[in-house]
Amino acid sequence: MTGLQEVSQRHEDELEAAVAKGKPILELRGLQKNYGAVQALKPATITFLSGEIHAIVGENGAGKSTLIKLLTGVIPRTAGEVSWQGEPVQLATPTEAIARGINAVHQEVVLCPHLSVAANMFLGDEMNSKGLMRKRAMTDAAQGVLDDLGFNLPANATLGSLTIGQQQLVATARAAMRGTRFLIFDEPTAYLTRQESAQLFRLIRRLQGEGVTIVYISHRLEEVFELADRVSVLRDGTHVGTRYISETNEAELIALMINRTIEQIYHKEQFALGETIVETRGLSGPGFSDISLSVRAGEIVGLYGLIGAGRSEFALGLYGRHPLTGGEVYWQGRKVEIGNERRAMELGIALAPESRRDQGLCLNLPIGLNINLPVFRKLTRGLTINRAEEAANADRQIRDLQIKTPSRRVLASAMSGGNQQKIVIGKWLSHGAKLFIFDEPTVGVDVGTKAEIYRLFARLLEKGAGIILISSYLPEVYELADRLHVFRQGRLVASHDYRAASHEDVLAQAINA
Amino acid sequence: MSVETVESSTGPTPKRGVSILFGLTLLGLLVVLWLLLGLATSAFWTPNNISNLLRQGAMTAILAVGQTFVIITAGIDLSVGAVVGFTSVIVAWLLAAGVPLWLALIATLLIGVLIGAFHAFGIVRMGLPPFIITLATLTSLRGIGLLITNGSTISITNEAFTNFSRADFLGVPSLFWMVIVVAVPAYVFLHLSRFGRYLFAVGSNSEAARLSGVNVNRTIYLAYILSSTCAAFVGLLLASRIGIGNATQAEGWELQAIASSVIGGTSLFGAVGSVHGPLLGAFILATINNGANLLNVNSFWQRIITGLLIIVIVYFDQLRRRGSR
Ligand SMILES: Nc1ncnc2c1ncn2[C@@H]1O[C@H](COP(=O)(O)OP(=O)(O)OP(=O)(O)O)[C@@H](O)[C@H]1O
Ligand SMILES: [Mg+2]
Repeated sequence: MTGLQEVSQRHEDELEAAVAKGKPILELRGLQKNYGAVQALKPATITFLSGEIHAIVGENGAGKSTLIKLLTGVIPRTAGEVSWQGEPVQLATPTEAIARGINAVHQEVVLCPHLSVAANMFLGDEMNSKGLMRKRAMTDAAQGVLDDLGFNLPANATLGSLTIGQQQLVATARAAMRGTRFLIFDEPTAYLTRQESAQLFRLIRRLQGEGVTIVYISHRLEEVFELADRVSVLRDGTHVGTRYISETNEAELIALMINRTIEQIYHKEQFALGETIVETRGLSGPGFSDISLSVRAGEIVGLYGLIGAGRSEFALGLYGRHPLTGGEVYWQGRKVEIGNERRAMELGIALAPESRRDQGLCLNLPIGLNINLPVFRKLTRGLTINRAEEAANADRQIRDLQIKTPSRRVLASAMSGGNQQKIVIGKWLSHGAKLFIFDEPTVGVDVGTKAEIYRLFARLLEKGAGIILISSYLPEVYELADRLHVFRQGRLVASHDYRAASHEDVLAQAINA
Repeated sequence: MSVETVESSTGPTPKRGVSILFGLTLLGLLVVLWLLLGLATSAFWTPNNISNLLRQGAMTAILAVGQTFVIITAGIDLSVGAVVGFTSVIVAWLLAAGVPLWLALIATLLIGVLIGAFHAFGIVRMGLPPFIITLATLTSLRGIGLLITNGSTISITNEAFTNFSRADFLGVPSLFWMVIVVAVPAYVFLHLSRFGRYLFAVGSNSEAARLSGVNVNRTIYLAYILSSTCAAFVGLLLASRIGIGNATQAEGWELQAIASSVIGGTSLFGAVGSVHGPLLGAFILATINNGANLLNVNSFWQRIITGLLIIVIVYFDQLRRRGSR
């Protein structure tokens, strides 16, 4: 069986000699990127040291992903210089970056969902013999790498059949086996479960041990403190500082990032619970079975579990997207059949789905259209849409959620990850509902905005709504949910009141340890 | 890693003006073509020729508008040419059988509705790709039309019907008025009503549209029915113009319609398109054919020129879209 070492060895010889540990390996001088009039990255001067783990933090739209795309040749720079191992380089194409040993796992996995895991891992780098692809050899090698990394994934499965988190791990393995000198992770844990994150951290430490320089972008500061040696902060496209991790703390980083302080991220207000809004009895469907739970007005019901535990499937089933195979739904005490999404919306259910790319957004359409999509019916007067109201509604959400955009006419694809997430949430706020289902609402969202989203939850509760909050990030559901249900393999395995169980217990129940 | 560029290449900020601007550039191109042709040949700016050009462009323009609805949903309708031929047979047949004119017209349009509904049924219920189902009807409809006519043509004796296409109204050919009759409601539908927004949303990401409460299946039915109905309408106009029903007419018009739509800025990937774009595209194509005829350009060359033009215009459109990268 081949391991990571052997596979990446294919490339080692092609790379230039490594720089001694602790010496600059990649230096940016005045690196800059404009998109038209938008200054996504203002001239930045940052030095990355060989063998370090260098974290980059900053608010949504601060320019982190832009920086990464520049370094990997995905987009051309507007101005500035980059030197790699002491020599100026262009980094004009991804191929050039890869040839020099610079690889990245991007924020949104862009692989081919119809190909197998192995084919994706070797994409553009296939093993050939006499012009023919060696499919078996590649599958075996890929499996070897995955096993070696401790990722429990089948190399011959179709990529699209895996969860987003698992796909992210495949992307990581893919980057790791390219004989990498410099590896960038853009919010890799956003879609990962605790367990998967732990696997990833082991991989990162291992690569560091082999002399690879790591750049690590995350909104989760505790991860930054756990992993990084140094941290650079971006704010509004400006590099505002670099610190040794041992010489800084969370408060300082947050202050640098958002230029103000936040006392409490997990904003929670207790409201008197009202009537039961929805109750499921023994609900079963594709990916979940026998789920009984209820949500009352003023209550946040948290669903925690590993990715693939059936929480999103449950939400989609309740929302009428997938057919139910058993059980009953009671809406405000009355038994109802929710056959399709429209019916769910009419009852008063809103679903902000898990994947903004696949389910949440029409990426190549304007922000305004995305926000208004659920409410065009309400905006229609006679035959046509009331354009003034349409504009006002979009602008209100953009303002309230502080979506960073010059205009509602900008395409959703031009937004940073966190701002895209805000559009998904904005859609449902403008629609309004009795029951809000938020599936991973803060994935990729920065601390400041997170706190705002939690405040917003409180406002919804105050108005008498109920919330189902699905999250793979335990602190979030733990601190916010009035009642916390733990899912494992499609079943509800445990329920706790607010803060009634310890983190460890909840986690153990989720992974059946 | 080159796959990564997909995300960012969708890119720039479309300002409201851009679509209008592109429309203006196309209009500019059309005007320039007309001026040049006017200089090159005295036969161009004659009332007769202009009427002719407007008539010829009119039918493609209507087809292109219907086609655009479908393309915006990220689909394609290859059947429109065949539908034109088929419905010309239907109306001629009905009239020959003594059906009153108004009833024949309505029945023919309804056939168009049914064909579109069948396409949508194939796509939505049977899960067939749009390309396949409309390709299938393309060949079948021609076959059915030929069966009905026994391989020949049915001539139309109803004078009121055949006179229509030759008539002028306010000095403009009635066929061109038909473009306006189609384009105005089409504009309201696509750009001002919520159903138009739904077409774009379905073309961009049908899952996101569905989860936002958009009835995706109904939207697809709508798009294909509109396209086929436009085609049936053109079938009526054509029958009126040539005075016969013939199943082999309008050969290749589906490609003309798609080309007009694409020249007019519609993206074959879906979610990008307008009503004015394909109209201009259709008249640009008609002008080129007309001009080439007047200048005695070999018709083989006409085809080549048309092909090159499609590449050039769409290439510039792409450049503009990527503009600020
Ligand atoms: N293709 C594009 N066209 C125009 N503007 C863009 C494009 N891509 C990004 N931007 C803008 O550049 C800025 C920086 O975006 P970037 O994706 O680098 O943010 P980020 O720091 O990664 O944020 P997040 O934490 O939300 O992922 C944002 O204001 C964004 O709107
Ligand atoms: Mg980002």
